[in-house]
Amino acid sequence: MKQILDLTVNGRPYEVAVRPGAMLLDVLRDELQLTGTKRGCELGDCGACTVLVDGRAVNSCLMLALEAQGRQVTTVEGVASGNGLHPIQQALVEAGAIQCGFCTPGMVVRAKALVDANPQPTDDEIRAALSGNLCRCTGYAKIIEAVKSAALYLQAKQPAKLQFATQRSAAHLSIVGKRLPKPDAPAKATGRATYTDDIALPNMIYGKLLLSPVPHANIKSIDTSKAEALAGVHVVMTGADVPDLTYGTSPARYDENVLAKDKVRYVGDVVAAVAAVDEETCYKALSLIDVEYEELPAVFDAHSAMKEGAPRLFDQKYENNINTRVDHHFGDVEKGFAEADYVREATFVGNRAYQNPIEPHCAIAEWDTHGKVTLYTSTQVVHYVHHQLSRVLGMPLGNIRVIMHHTGGGFGSKAATNPLEIISILLSKKAGRPVKMRFSRAEMYLYGRGRHKQHIELKIGVKKDGTITAVKHKAVLEGGAYSSFGVVTVYYAGSMIPTLYKIPNYKYDGYRVNTNLPPCGAMRGHGCPHPRFAFESLLSMIAEDIGMDPIDIRLKNAMEPETRTCNDLDIHSCEFKACLEQVREASGWDKKKGKLPPGRGIGIGCGGFVSGAGYPIYRSQFPHSNAMIKIEEDGSKAVLFTGEADIGQGSNTVLAQMAAEAMGITLDRVDVVSADSDTTPLGFGAYSSRVTLMGGNAAKMAGEEVKKQVLHAAAKLLEIPEEKLDARANQVFAKDQPEKSIPWNEAATAFFAENGPLVGKGHYSPPKGLGGKYKGAAVGTSPAYSFSAAVCEVEVDMETGKVKVLNFWDAHDCGTAINPLAVEGQVQGAVVMGLSETLLENEVFDSSGTIVNADLHNYLMATSMDSPIIDCSLVDSYEPEGPFGAKEVGEGATLPVLGAIANAVADAVGVRIQDLPITPEKVLNGLKSRGPTLAANSGQGTHGRSRVSSTPAS
Amino acid sequence: MASRRRKPAGKAQISLVVNGEPTEVAFSPHKTLLEVLREDLGLTGTKHGCELGECGTCTVLLDGQPVLSCLALALACDGKRVETVEGMARGAVLHPLQETFADLGAAQCGYCTPGFLLVAKALLEENPSPTRDQIKQALAGNLCRCTGYLKIYEAVELAAARMQGEEAEAKEETLYGRR
Amino acid sequence: MLPKFSYVRATSLDEAVRLLSSDDGARVCAGGSDLLGCLRDQVFECSRVVSLTGIDGLRGIARTRDGGVRIGALTTIADVAADPTINQSYPGLAQAAGELASPQLRNQGTIGGNICQKPRCWYYRGDFDCLRKGGTTCHAVAGESEFHCILGGAGCFVVHPSDTAPALVALQATVRIAGRRGTRSVPMEEFYVLPNQDVRRETVLEPHEIVTEIVLPRPAAGMRSSYHKVRARGAWDFALAGVALALQFSGNRVTAGRVVLSGAAPTPWRSREAEEAIIGKQLDAATAAAAGRAAMEDAVPLRRNGYKIPLFQGVIEEALLAIGRA
Repeated sequence: MKQILDLTVNGRPYEVAVRPGAMLLDVLRDELQLTGTKRGCELGDCGACTVLVDGRAVNSCLMLALEAQGRQVTTVEGVASGNGLHPIQQALVEAGAIQCGFCTPGMVVRAKALVDANPQPTDDEIRAALSGNLCRCTGYAKIIEAVKSAALYLQAKQPAKLQFATQRSAAHLSIVGKRLPKPDAPAKATGRATYTDDIALPNMIYGKLLLSPVPHANIKSIDTSKAEALAGVHVVMTGADVPDLTYGTSPARYDENVLAKDKVRYVGDVVAAVAAVDEETCYKALSLIDVEYEELPAVFDAHSAMKEGAPRLFDQKYENNINTRVDHHFGDVEKGFAEADYVREATFVGNRAYQNPIEPHCAIAEWDTHGKVTLYTSTQVVHYVHHQLSRVLGMPLGNIRVIMHHTGGGFGSKAATNPLEIISILLSKKAGRPVKMRFSRAEMYLYGRGRHKQHIELKIGVKKDGTITAVKHKAVLEGGAYSSFGVVTVYYAGSMIPTLYKIPNYKYDGYRVNTNLPPCGAMRGHGCPHPRFAFESLLSMIAEDIGMDPIDIRLKNAMEPETRTCNDLDIHSCEFKACLEQVREASGWDKKKGKLPPGRGIGIGCGGFVSGAGYPIYRSQFPHSNAMIKIEEDGSKAVLFTGEADIGQGSNTVLAQMAAEAMGITLDRVDVVSADSDTTPLGFGAYSSRVTLMGGNAAKMAGEEVKKQVLHAAAKLLEIPEEKLDARANQVFAKDQPEKSIPWNEAATAFFAENGPLVGKGHYSPPKGLGGKYKGAAVGTSPAYSFSAAVCEVEVDMETGKVKVLNFWDAHDCGTAINPLAVEGQVQGAVVMGLSETLLENEVFDSSGTIVNADLHNYLMATSMDSPIIDCSLVDSYEPEGPFGAKEVGEGATLPVLGAIANAVADAVGVRIQDLPITPEKVLNGLKSRGPTLAANSGQGTHGRSRVSSTPAS
Repeated sequence: MASRRRKPAGKAQISLVVNGEPTEVAFSPHKTLLEVLREDLGLTGTKHGCELGECGTCTVLLDGQPVLSCLALALACDGKRVETVEGMARGAVLHPLQETFADLGAAQCGYCTPGFLLVAKALLEENPSPTRDQIKQALAGNLCRCTGYLKIYEAVELAAARMQGEEAEAKEETLYGRR
Repeated sequence: MLPKFSYVRATSLDEAVRLLSSDDGARVCAGGSDLLGCLRDQVFECSRVVSLTGIDGLRGIARTRDGGVRIGALTTIADVAADPTINQSYPGLAQAAGELASPQLRNQGTIGGNICQKPRCWYYRGDFDCLRKGGTTCHAVAGESEFHCILGGAGCFVVHPSDTAPALVALQATVRIAGRRGTRSVPMEEFYVLPNQDVRRETVLEPHEIVTEIVLPRPAAGMRSSYHKVRARGAWDFALAGVALALQFSGNRVTAGRVVLSGAAPTPWRSREAEEAIIGKQLDAATAAAAGRAAMEDAVPLRRNGYKIPLFQGVIEEALLAIGRA
């Protein structure tokens, strides 16, 4: 029986009938429609649901609504008055502290409680206060900076303006290259931005999935009759009710059923689905479905799975469960090792990390009465979802509309079509009502698609002067039950190794193996962070062995511009050496390396990534990115239509900047409509760090077309030939007589009046024929490559093994930074995510294949207390293939982090941890096995052709 | 912190079965059923037209009988069955009236349609084969500004026929006018 | 999914006790942060939630007549951490309170709830039929045991999750309990139940009983207290290893006191071995190291948690040296 709750929210009294089991969060969102407060984990771990109750910050997901009886609640909607922003919100916007924005409402509210109680907080007090609010995008640095600025604003002081030197390549530009806050940030700061779960359609019902409790089994029978009879249940669906077509990510490996047909392959595999009036009823109905499983032997690690006679996940496909095998050899490694003066090999093991965006996946499907369905979904890739739905449902693209509103982070977890998207559509069709489906935090882990755990054997040969002569690399990737991105992952794991250093001879053996665990997919840096961790670790080990400075050995081998790598990848712009010099200088490397007290250490790591994949995931004849621009008839605004998805990285902002620059107008005159398959042209979306370069080229081209037409109209009005005109900052002017000018909007209006709509369109395809001719040559191709170097300083507690990262210095070659503020945000976020993966994160499975830490307090992600001081800098660089010279930053910045930390830990305590994460347990075990004396070197090198092997420390 | 208990301003709470689903809802006692349906239950298919009981667009079925929800106090509906336009279809299958209204062009702007549908549904449940006059009388409390009513009557007639099991089709002149 | 329960906000202790007594499925809710997590994880059933937040007099921190301190069970962890008296007289408790969970959870969670927490073992909280939930085995024994106990385990190998409880045991606090038969006082040290006594419960509380307050005795002259906690993450993380100290000094010699470990055992674990190793001595490096070794003498690791032994030795050593310098 519901009870009446009487409470005050944001100064307004409410009375509402609530279920005794309803949380304050449920009532705020579902009953009072205050959807600014977000649902992240429902266990009090993430802080996205933070509100103030009688002035104190609490997690509203862990507070019974009835406990709020008579109390004063403040949500993010009540922080500012009217249409303005509270100084905290203003500061977060200005500092670029808002990316996906899903954690922002909780941060705003928490920060308000802090500055209300402590008007002049120190950095440490800010960090401590925010330590119950997880952020996966920003790395906390800019949030902390913003709270500090806000405290100054509140005391009527101005925060110090940051000194920023414009890159050479952006010096002549007016919009591109500027540190500009994102136009969508105020909506995110005030709780107005709508994420998928914030949408409630009239008459909507809910859907939930029945997940397999066993790791491997044949389904003998399913009885849904009891579930169907339950009051409030609208639809119950099993494998028999869904299309037979399998789906997935890579066309060669479409191996997933919409719902299990006859077999389940991991704990969490999708078995059945229910639609009912609310989630509670759904769960109850799921518990009433009787499934008879015939259990089969299961296998959970890659090495066992590859053995002859191991249980097979697929009877026909994938011999010995090897989902994908890569056998690459470029040059001649045996010859290369023979030429080496020193050879060392070592084994490394990665960890199963999960992307854990703060926003759980959510999808809502609604059909019209003419057979067209609209899907709202939290995705990175509207187009791939659109394409896959069309395939699986057997419907033309035009009968499916896919809309992404705001997406609360992805990092690869939302880069493919998921079961919620397909099944909400099927349930909705049958129910005749809109159906919302969302994952709980635990269900997110079971859906999986996180980082593959890699077992790596790496061998590097060098000359006396450090020149690399050969690299041999074997990687076994634990893939989980289905292919997902795995084919591409295992190729990436190998193909990116030769892009950073000049490697004449390279052999790569890759195995992507199926196991009875949740499928692994593409996570930030896709396949590359573990091999890069291994390579950067081993390179530093070798440098120590041969008595060379770790930065010097990198400079010796560093990639140079206009190089074709041994695996036929074409590097154009490359300022890697400048990155290395930059971090050497900024970190005070030469004064610190080898000179720090025991327990303190410094290390270097490097990385880089593609700026968009050279080829799409499935064979497509269309340009990868497309754009349209429509100008209002009065010329006051340009609306850019792009299919690319802003998942917090700020793509709408940088695309608008590029379009504005190309058109000659200011950023405030550009609005963006994105990621809606009905209104925006095809764009492959936010994966493989592609949007700035590809989406940017398309937006720039569309802007140039608009400008051409505006100049044409202005030529008539000014009576000056078109080719002598240019546009900038909302004016059209004669290039040689700038005083002869007219406002841009007048020219645009004149054009419309005479010719009809003023529109521009643009498109981008990567250069034809990228890559070599061998099998798998497409993976790793890209129009351009980013480069980065990072130095990290750590402190290791010798008694407890706890590693604390103190400082990070990162230098990135992303070409021209379209928006340096956004670039810093990407770098800081990548550093903290990388740090978190290196030191904290790991999915743990029981012997039955059940994940035991599918939450946010057993699965540890970095908090504000773990975020180091990060110094990020850009180097001068210009990429000819990129718009205004730009290339990627989002994923490449992750890659140096793992190796840099491992190298710093080794420098601090002489313990070389070769399996991730680097936990107190492993450091202590390492210290113990190392014995009482502090030898700086973990393994002894032998010169000549003899080998040294080292294995992981635990 | 001590909670400041203040006397609740006196919200009313009732139970309803809305479109077959039992639900409990709390609201200020002065609210009409229309307001509760739209604002507290999120069922916006039922429309506000005049709030004086003059236009009929807010019609819902209360225990099967058409009532003007803008004139019904929600408090008075405790324990009753309410049917709104959202409850007419069975899953994805439209009610015959919805089908014929759509096919025959009986809905133009569509704002009066939910009310017409529910009144017609109640009519056909009571009188499966109404005459044109009976239809006119039954629908007399519902105003329509677009269609001139003719196609609405025809849609009700066609639905009635189909619900009687006839394989009825719309007359040619209904669809295309007299030639 | 939460179970379906009714909700009653008691207005007096008597009413709360009566409500708990009349319904086997009733559960006490103070801050709710542990209870609601358990219910969401379906650790146990619940048919009625009895909220204590409407009862006057269960909140606040006050001096007792004999110079000690009473902490109402509903006092939030944040209030305990910030209280000037606690910080001055019982810094070990203030540190423990300040280190636990996250700021929001410290605002929600209460001291009474904190000492009555359910274990955080991932098998206990997960979908596993474990010994503590009435099953037949402890899955940690053959499974993933890196966060499990090295002392006091018997059949079940959870660790007690509370940070404040070890500090309260060290400070010789007493728990006041109200129940059907009136009120009673239990020393914190006797409040907890080891698995070999009863694997289904963590404390001596009967289902109808409620913790009403915690009473701290007046700190003896020369008393110093501290809490040290090692955790992997910088915030919102349970202790991998922790040590609460409450030691009496005469000059720089320890004359009496307690060493209590967190993250070591199914209950806050008083290490008499460590106490013996330091009482009567100055806390120099050798004594501190000896105490660390002594504390771990009886430790029996599972498959994955052997690292806790050097970890505890390290943190005990660091904590003793630090308090010796204080």
